Amino acid sequence: MPATYRTIPVRELSEEELTALSRDMKLSLSSEDMLVVQQIFREIDREPTDVELEVIAQTWSEHCKHRIFAATVQHTVDGKQEEIRSMYKTFIQRPSKEIMARKPGFVLSCFVDNAGFIKLDDKLSVCLKAETHNHPSAIEPYAGANTGLGGVIRDILGAGKGAKPIANLDVFCFGAPDTPESLTEGHNIIHPLGIMRGVVHGVRDYGNRMGIPTTSGAIQFDPAYIYNPLVFCGTAGVIPQTDIAKEMKPGLAVVVIGGRTGKDGLHGATFSSAAMGEASAEEDQQAVQIGNPIEEKKTLDVILEARERGLIEFVTDCGAGGFSSAAGEMLSETGGNVYLDRAPLKEGNMQSWQIFLSESQERMVLAVKPENVPELQRLADTFQTEMTVLGESNDSGVLRVWHHGETVCELDNSKLHEAPTKHLTSVFISSPSRTGIALNDTHLGADLKEVFGDFAVVSREPIIREYDHEVQGNTVLKPLAGAAADAPQDASVIDIDGSDKLMSLALAILPEWGKTDPYAMGAGTVDETVRQLIISGTNPDKVALLDNFCMGNPESPVELGRLVECAKGIRDAALAYGAPYVSGKDSFYNYFETENGPVNIPVTFLCSGFGVVEDVSHVCGASLRRSDSVLFLVGNTEDELGGSVYARRHSIVDARVPQTDCTANFAIYKRYYERALTKGLVLAAHDLSEGGLAVAAAEMAFSGKGGLCIDLDKLPTAHGWKNLVVPCFAESTGRFLVEVDPDMADDFASAMEGMPCARVGYATSDGKLTLTSGGKVALQEEIAALKHIWKHGLTPYY
Amino acid sequence: MPHALLLKYPGTNCDVETERALSAAGFSTQVQPIATATPVHVERAQLVVFSGGFSYGDYVMSGRLAQLETERFLGDALQKHFDKGGFLFGICNGFQILTKLGILPRASLIWNKSERFECMWDRLVKVSASCPYTQLLPDEFELPSAHAEGRLVCDLGDAEKYLANGCVALQYADNHNGSELRIAGLQDPTGRAMGLMPHPERFLLPRHHYDPDWAGDPDWGWGYYFFKGAFEALK
Repeated sequence: MPATYRTIPVRELSEEELTALSRDMKLSLSSEDMLVVQQIFREIDREPTDVELEVIAQTWSEHCKHRIFAATVQHTVDGKQEEIRSMYKTFIQRPSKEIMARKPGFVLSCFVDNAGFIKLDDKLSVCLKAETHNHPSAIEPYAGANTGLGGVIRDILGAGKGAKPIANLDVFCFGAPDTPESLTEGHNIIHPLGIMRGVVHGVRDYGNRMGIPTTSGAIQFDPAYIYNPLVFCGTAGVIPQTDIAKEMKPGLAVVVIGGRTGKDGLHGATFSSAAMGEASAEEDQQAVQIGNPIEEKKTLDVILEARERGLIEFVTDCGAGGFSSAAGEMLSETGGNVYLDRAPLKEGNMQSWQIFLSESQERMVLAVKPENVPELQRLADTFQTEMTVLGESNDSGVLRVWHHGETVCELDNSKLHEAPTKHLTSVFISSPSRTGIALNDTHLGADLKEVFGDFAVVSREPIIREYDHEVQGNTVLKPLAGAAADAPQDASVIDIDGSDKLMSLALAILPEWGKTDPYAMGAGTVDETVRQLIISGTNPDKVALLDNFCMGNPESPVELGRLVECAKGIRDAALAYGAPYVSGKDSFYNYFETENGPVNIPVTFLCSGFGVVEDVSHVCGASLRRSDSVLFLVGNTEDELGGSVYARRHSIVDARVPQTDCTANFAIYKRYYERALTKGLVLAAHDLSEGGLAVAAAEMAFSGKGGLCIDLDKLPTAHGWKNLVVPCFAESTGRFLVEVDPDMADDFASAMEGMPCARVGYATSDGKLTLTSGGKVALQEEIAALKHIWKHGLTPYY
Repeated sequence: MPHALLLKYPGTNCDVETERALSAAGFSTQVQPIATATPVHVERAQLVVFSGGFSYGDYVMSGRLAQLETERFLGDALQKHFDKGGFLFGICNGFQILTKLGILPRASLIWNKSERFECMWDRLVKVSASCPYTQLLPDEFELPSAHAEGRLVCDLGDAEKYLANGCVALQYADNHNGSELRIAGLQDPTGRAMGLMPHPERFLLPRHHYDPDWAGDPDWGWGYYFFKGAFEALK
């Protein structure tokens, strides 16, 4: 039999030769990294095998190790220098630990497992995880998005001793679907329309077949995403609290369940840690995996049943790095053996490293007591999926990988987990921001129609309908509601089997803001997420967050500077809202080399949040319910047009971006929740976000139950404005419209006394949106006409 | 207490909520994966249920592989169950399977007119007066739908025949998937076997309606009454 592994001499190589080796083997390791690798093998006094080099490359890849988020950054803001030792520890972990210390018992597990868990009630816990699958989706949109969702579902299945997936979220950033073909021709990239259709179908075919409702999502369009589309997929799960903790012990059988191992998905982890180029499509085809949701559904059925029967000691998914990372996670401390010969393969003649590193989909690795293996085998047979005992744990402290009777990999993991620290520099220069810009406010109606036709605002209905958002029969607040089930909502709320409490889910993403004020983007994005959750019925003290960052080239100081400033914003916001980050992920190198230089995506921050709704009576939709009700606006409106849809449509690039006082906002939200929402004073509430007040008011009325009349002069404000574009279209944070029964209006006003809150208008039965100022009509449009523009914005492209 | 058996195939995914609805209506329930199902399981049940999902992925014609596997594991047990007066109920993918099994009148469920998966609520109209599953429901009501292959087609003239002989249990008011004669649900002439594309198990409680002001029924969603109707006929 020909050898299935090679020994690669590295001990005597020069730095140049090491770098060349890394390039030839596609290891994506820098010359500094390769020198450390060389040192490791000099110390243990032998040459590495190709399996070992591949394992190191995978372990140290950006995808797995987040070395940029852990790097030491010399950051300069407006000439002042500061040193950040690990953005992750400084801006994510430290504030989260501080919050957890303030709220003992709320976060049950975070930073250690596949997802972060929070307490739902006395018995159950809910968790959430979101990931990106950007590079695969750029090359093969259907398969890339398909396996992106499949992967994050497995994260939840491998969280604790196996959580049950109960909801999916999906967020996309694309080039506009009407992008001229001339912009994509000749670049060997797929047109944004092809990306969008492929990605949506990929998410659809995986999520629907898994029987998990896709309840939340968003799409952003920007020309910079033409070359590097972003695809975020997330999954929420539920698990008994007693099944969260898992521990490896010596003497357990290590078992793989699900799909077979093949040559698909090789080098996925290292591939996603490098830039895209025009040759990517061909070279990297084999890094994109192929999805089979039914295989994963069978695996899910086995794992949930096995967990309920108490058969599982430890479980994790085969994600990036395949068996290598799963076995590494399970066996690096206890030690153990993995026998590659036993792995069921899709094809013959696979090299040892290919079997060990393959990222073939739909595989889960479990550790079970040897006496429970037969019962687990019966379950696998019952659900018609394949199961194999791949190896065992022992107390040697060393993971040995065997193939055809030979050791092909034997690494001391304590050395591997100390990847060399990266050193980076970043710079941020704050740009001037204008207020009081002279704008024409005499055709606000036409402006509103233009804003409603913008891709940032239009209805996602054609996409939402392709996803099953009601399977499992627990979606209480759906993505679309109102009298005709087509009006937008702010959050989704999911009933949890076996509990009186519910879980809420919301997200926000505002990449436009970060182009001028990334700190404000960070704070504003967190604010919007928290606000949506609370006004939909979530207890303000029971909100947890996820941070997902994407950016271009981190070695560009200007690009990295924006990321650092954004991270500061999200740290401060989390502390103010008492909402810890319980999980997160980052994706770098989202830039594309063209003959005219690199195109970087804007620094993009997705904030997903989830929380506890204490009682189904607290669930509150965003759609107008009556034609005789009164409207209150909570939160100040300021002269902050920066980053708004209006500003983009009018090419205003230097207006002030909304500034968020998170501490003040949180006091407002808590008051609203405690004294208004949970006291039954609220009929409906809708957050003000993209498009500002005019869009939010019309969206409320898209329920089809009434029109709205609002007096712009009554809007709460601290500093006012010079023209009516501001109250109509500024996207100041912290604001939401509240519909109140006229008989409860006084009670509501006194509940909110002392807060920036005013009675600004009333519902009508005239079917119009009317905004007035100085006793005159400033804007009046038929709701039906606005809804038509909004509802059909995407349909021509879809 | 009437007993309901729910057969679960690889890719079946509405079993939890369907079992929840069966229990709420009073049935004792058992969810049985097809690979371990035996004729004895069928003999113990008064009602055999096929829930929604994507059996075997539905990569070939929906329900076809499930039909072949059912025959492999259960032989003619389902036909015997039916002949002895037993009930069979198929929802969405279960309707597709029940159609392939030949227990319901001959028809096929093919790709929607839109050629898309569509998740939306449907208004439905009760047609057959002899359907135990719909006996407790008003003449017109709503249910959520979610399917790509829900367009019912028949051999030439069959749809008219089914309408005339009482085999059409439900019609769509709007017919978004393009079914012949707007047929949403079929039954055998006795009404003991029934299948429909929409999902009654997803509208068990008023809170499951998309409109918080829905006031059709104070205690239950319309979907509950399908299961309750079967329970009443069997108790």
